Amino acid sequence: MTTILFHGEPNGPSLTVLAALFEKSVPAQLVRIDLAAGERHSLPCARQSEVAMSIEGEGPVLVVDGEGMTDSVFIACYLDDIGPGPALRPADPYRRWEVMAWCRQIIERTAPAAAYLGCWAHPPHAGPAQLAGVQSADLRARWDEIVAGRFEEPRLGDSRVKISQSVDRIETRLEGREWLMGEFSIADLESYAWLAGMTEVVPAAFSGKPRTAAWLGRVRARPAVARALGLATVANPANCWAPGPEINRWG
Amino acid sequence: MPDVTLYHWEPNANSGKPMLALMEKGVAFNSRYLDLLNFDQHKPEYLAINPQGTIPAMLHGDRVLTESTAIMEYVDESFPGPKLMPADPRDCWRVRWWMKFMDQWLAPSFSMIGWSVFVGPAVRKKDPEELKAAVERIPLPERRVAWRKAIYGAFGEEEMAESQRRVAVGIRMLEDELSKRPWLASAQFSLADINGFNLAYALPLAQPTLSNDEKTPNILRWLRAIYARPATKACWAMGRTSMVSRVKILEQAHIGGETAA
Repeated sequence: MTTILFHGEPNGPSLTVLAALFEKSVPAQLVRIDLAAGERHSLPCARQSEVAMSIEGEGPVLVVDGEGMTDSVFIACYLDDIGPGPALRPADPYRRWEVMAWCRQIIERTAPAAAYLGCWAHPPHAGPAQLAGVQSADLRARWDEIVAGRFEEPRLGDSRVKISQSVDRIETRLEGREWLMGEFSIADLESYAWLAGMTEVVPAAFSGKPRTAAWLGRVRARPAVARALGLATVANPANCWAPGPEINRWG
Repeated sequence: MPDVTLYHWEPNANSGKPMLALMEKGVAFNSRYLDLLNFDQHKPEYLAINPQGTIPAMLHGDRVLTESTAIMEYVDESFPGPKLMPADPRDCWRVRWWMKFMDQWLAPSFSMIGWSVFVGPAVRKKDPEELKAAVERIPLPERRVAWRKAIYGAFGEEEMAESQRRVAVGIRMLEDELSKRPWLASAQFSLADINGFNLAYALPLAQPTLSNDEKTPNILRWLRAIYARPATKACWAMGRTSMVSRVKILEQAHIGGETAA
């Protein structure tokens, strides 16, 4: 079995998957690609449905025996299933449900907001030649808006609200806990990966949140996360963004 | 009395997912039917159980669970009965990928069309003042926006066209995927098939030019195979509206592109 992880700078979904890979001690060939330049769309597996139409937008791709796997939470579940390292999900079904339901809220509410604000603060730089390979029309539309610098004020405002709400939930959740689900889990990785870069973009969301600040520090200090962050080729990878999941079309 | 209680609407979309998963597992449950068209899901009795006012919600003992797809995984792991997740981890990834793709990308487009042709007209018959008050009680702001659009027929031409585009893309993707294997995401029946059936059970009726025995033979084969399962029959028999009785289209031996409309 050959396993190759095509990843971007260690932020957002690339950080989740890199850290999960290291937490679980899964052997894989690591190949850096510039997600912010649209390089994912020239991978050999780029036209597979699960790569071209990933809900996550510009995330990493784990290729196992030629099949491209996307969506960081589900890749992390896969790594959790196959790797020898400590479990990244609890064994109890109810507590596993809590992890999946939590991650679902992060994917649906936090990630689109963080990606929108991140791309606004730190625009990615794909050119027309790279974007020509984007198969998904709606992902292409998000790219076009970002490259043209068209950001809507109501969406920016709503995204800041969503980041604040996420941080509020985390602050409440961490009362009497070291990690979001009690034990360290994929929920910590996924929440950290989308929010780490928001401390500078939406500082107000994090002010007066001592438990969240301490938790961010704890996640960052984990050896697997530190190792993932050590792969950065820029001073602050939390400033590296590319189009993420779309903001809910229903409002 | 079973210690599982499910608050649900019709066997359709999100409500139908845990209903069908429980029935496939053979788990008895107390059914609490909430009439979405009567805004039962925003009434205080239900908000005490799920403050977000979204359906479905499941009680298992004193545990409260929401998020239909996550509930299905819980049901599969918590009860005996046939496994609804594959044994192979990569197959599990594929099941989750397709469920998320349907939940977040394809289903919202189907339901925008469904709400504009079914839910909107159905609730518009109510007293306008009563409707206005009902919308004010909706806890999640984005659901308030969605309901206003459905009630007042305010889906824009552009967003409806985008939904129709996505439905066409999604149908092609499902057909391609189902040409590779008997079930949607793995060689065995799984939660992805339960999820997909809830989305697509009336597809050849709702989208006759895009989905029929000529154009999408694999989708039709798949829908009929799921409809043939005893759990599916029992589950859809719990429906009370004309919306879910559309499933009977699957009883036709041949659904042609020219005559289906």
